[in-house]
Amino acid sequence: MSITQQSIFASYDKDPKFYDEIFDEKGNVKKVYQTLFDLYSGHSSQDFAKLNDKAKASFFNQGITFQVYTDQEAKEKIFPFDLFPRIIDTKEWDVIEQGVLQRSKALNHFIWDIYHDKKIIKQGIVPLDLITSSANYLHQMIGIDPPGGIYNHISGTDLIKHADGKYYVLEDNIRCPSGVSYVICNRTALKRALFGVFNHYNAHTVTDYAQNLLEIMESVKPRGVDEPNCVVITPGVYNSAYYEHSYLAKSMGVELVEGRDLFVENDFVYMQTIKGPERVDVIYRRIDDAFLDPLEFRPDSALGVPGLFSAYKKGNVCLVNAPGTGFADDKAVYTYMPEIIKYYLGEEPILNNVHTYHCSRPDELKYVLENVDKLVVKPVDEAGGYGISIGNRLTKEEIEKVKKTIQASPRKYIAQPIMSLSVHATYIEESESFESRHVDLRTFCLLGADKEFVLKGGLTRVALKKGNLIVNSSQGGGSKDTWVLKK
Amino acid sequence: MEYTIKYKAVNTYEATVDEAFWQFLLRPEENKTQHVRISRFTNSLNTGIDISTNTFGFPICRVHPKKPFDAISFEANYIMSKEVINPFSALDSVANPEHYILIKSLNFKIDYERFLSTTPLTQLEKTQLPFQFSEERSIFDNLTELNEWVHKTFTFKTSVTDVNTTPVQFLEKGAGVCQDFTHLFLAIARLNNIPARYTSGYLHQGNGYQGDSQMHAWAECYIPEKGWLGFDPANNLIALENHIKVAHGQDYSDCAPIKGIIYSNSAANKTSYTVEVNARAESDPDVFSENQLFEPLPFKQQLAFQSQWQNQQYQQQQQLRQQLDADEDQAL
Repeated sequence: MSITQQSIFASYDKDPKFYDEIFDEKGNVKKVYQTLFDLYSGHSSQDFAKLNDKAKASFFNQGITFQVYTDQEAKEKIFPFDLFPRIIDTKEWDVIEQGVLQRSKALNHFIWDIYHDKKIIKQGIVPLDLITSSANYLHQMIGIDPPGGIYNHISGTDLIKHADGKYYVLEDNIRCPSGVSYVICNRTALKRALFGVFNHYNAHTVTDYAQNLLEIMESVKPRGVDEPNCVVITPGVYNSAYYEHSYLAKSMGVELVEGRDLFVENDFVYMQTIKGPERVDVIYRRIDDAFLDPLEFRPDSALGVPGLFSAYKKGNVCLVNAPGTGFADDKAVYTYMPEIIKYYLGEEPILNNVHTYHCSRPDELKYVLENVDKLVVKPVDEAGGYGISIGNRLTKEEIEKVKKTIQASPRKYIAQPIMSLSVHATYIEESESFESRHVDLRTFCLLGADKEFVLKGGLTRVALKKGNLIVNSSQGGGSKDTWVLKK
Repeated sequence: MEYTIKYKAVNTYEATVDEAFWQFLLRPEENKTQHVRISRFTNSLNTGIDISTNTFGFPICRVHPKKPFDAISFEANYIMSKEVINPFSALDSVANPEHYILIKSLNFKIDYERFLSTTPLTQLEKTQLPFQFSEERSIFDNLTELNEWVHKTFTFKTSVTDVNTTPVQFLEKGAGVCQDFTHLFLAIARLNNIPARYTSGYLHQGNGYQGDSQMHAWAECYIPEKGWLGFDPANNLIALENHIKVAHGQDYSDCAPIKGIIYSNSAANKTSYTVEVNARAESDPDVFSENQLFEPLPFKQQLAFQSQWQNQQYQQQQQLRQQLDADEDQAL
């Protein structure tokens, strides 16, 4: 090792408890990262400080910011971008791609079934309560046939790599998942800062996402429409993901609208333009279900379009994603995903689910009670991380308390093994060097009528705080450009 | 029977309204016992009317004025026929264990899930059940007793509740209007595995009286082998030819007769509604009466009148039934 190499990786921890994406067990750089590692090692820490500033400037110049609200003021911030890209080789990627596609298709079948015959419940595979108790199950969707039979046109599946080196699915997001604009902007920023490095690899493009999204939207056009008019609807400039909404509309070449720009007449949707009303056929909506139509859902919604839902019900407009998909991506349904995949597709799941113990089942309850210290215990019906206990962080008294809570109402709890996120080399401003940090991966999968697409790349989110496992941007997370290599 | 129905809503605003949307769910349902012969829906601004259907397939009218305004009124008129319903057809006092097995089966719960699930307006915990069903009695008898219990236990009183009042709040208050009686009835029926739906409509309370200026609400329950049957807990009645159904849904929010989205600088407004239901002879000319001047009877009195009449009918039926049963016993 040269001196510079030592200096920029000097503070890199190698913890055998976690799967390391860069180094193997012996501490050698993995083959796929070798070229990158050699190129980086030729630079000093001053060079990286400069490059880091350049990348940051690129984000500000592209206007990619999000708002952080403190007590009184709103601050424009950039989503921290990391200089060390994640590289995924073809073989590994093929499994991810097939796996997320399989899950998206299974979820689409599942949603169709639940809003029609509910066969999977009649067969006793999924319990009825699981669905009807979900606030995101919309009875308004019963019996509706969305154009092309598609509900989750856009799915974002979150993956992690556990200590055993295998990918596990953490969750599926099918309520208009965000983040894809960062994937594309990360690539732009990286190419500007480090073109000499990117050039050495043969990575798939990510900028074809918008074109594919537009094709997916056009594939689910209402009956009798030749050339569909597609739009993106946003809650407005104050929404934290407004940048993404405007970016997607711009790169697809379609209008970005707000609720007040649209109106419904005789169950058709129109957009106000300076040339008069223009019919709208497909809407990529970045507004939550409850706010879509004040006449059907929340009457206090000022973001939606009165009458939109009845136009949708008539089949005169397509909403992307469909309303009411939210019951299918919640925590409790997640635990049934292997069965859901087998039931609808007759296939074994390609990607692993984190194993789940249902405390409602006596033998699993026994295991959970004996192993609380090794498990994450979660209530089935709470969202947002409430009521979760992580076994290895509990005191003896706390463990006894958790046991008692579970025993009091076993049906309410599930338990999962404690998963560890893999680590990756990440540039840390304070130490001006690369350190190991935990990462996950959000993938983007599109389903249309006779068309499907998985973005070759994704959003690798990184927890910038040392030892932190939470990668969310609101919790101080950043992201990396993710390269999927061509064959 | 023939009825004329007149619904009128008058809205005046303190500040000019720039944009507004309304949705009306007022037209009597077309079903086996009802048929609308003539209908008319007008508004004072002569704005075009959109016809659509709501999520349960009931026809709705939408109004979206193209110009700012300070006041708007709506009027709906219907001339319709309603079949006289034989009250005996609903009676079923024989407890059938198979019915209880059926309503507890998974397939039944799945097929009727929409009318078995609780909603925020019909939320009640199983442990809070204030009225118990008994499987010794028929489903019909249980529901009839529930109907009577709700009617007796609660006081009909306006202005103590609103459209967002929950059964739990109604239990605490002890008083409310027809939708509160109905929501509580629905909550209890559903917790006993009986599919129950909120029903909105008009109540004919005898000629010469104006309505209570509101639409009415009652519950429809699914009884195996019988189908959907209406129970009116506010009046302790079975819904027969005096109950003119408009729509059903999970709760009030699916059946609101008028929904409005108003974009204005001032929320201050005055709204008044009137509903009139009158029986007419089939030979009467098909015109909508404009000014009917009758002394209105206080609402409670009207209900008492109505309730008394139907109770008499019901008791007569029960007596007759008992007599028939007794005759049968003798024959055996």
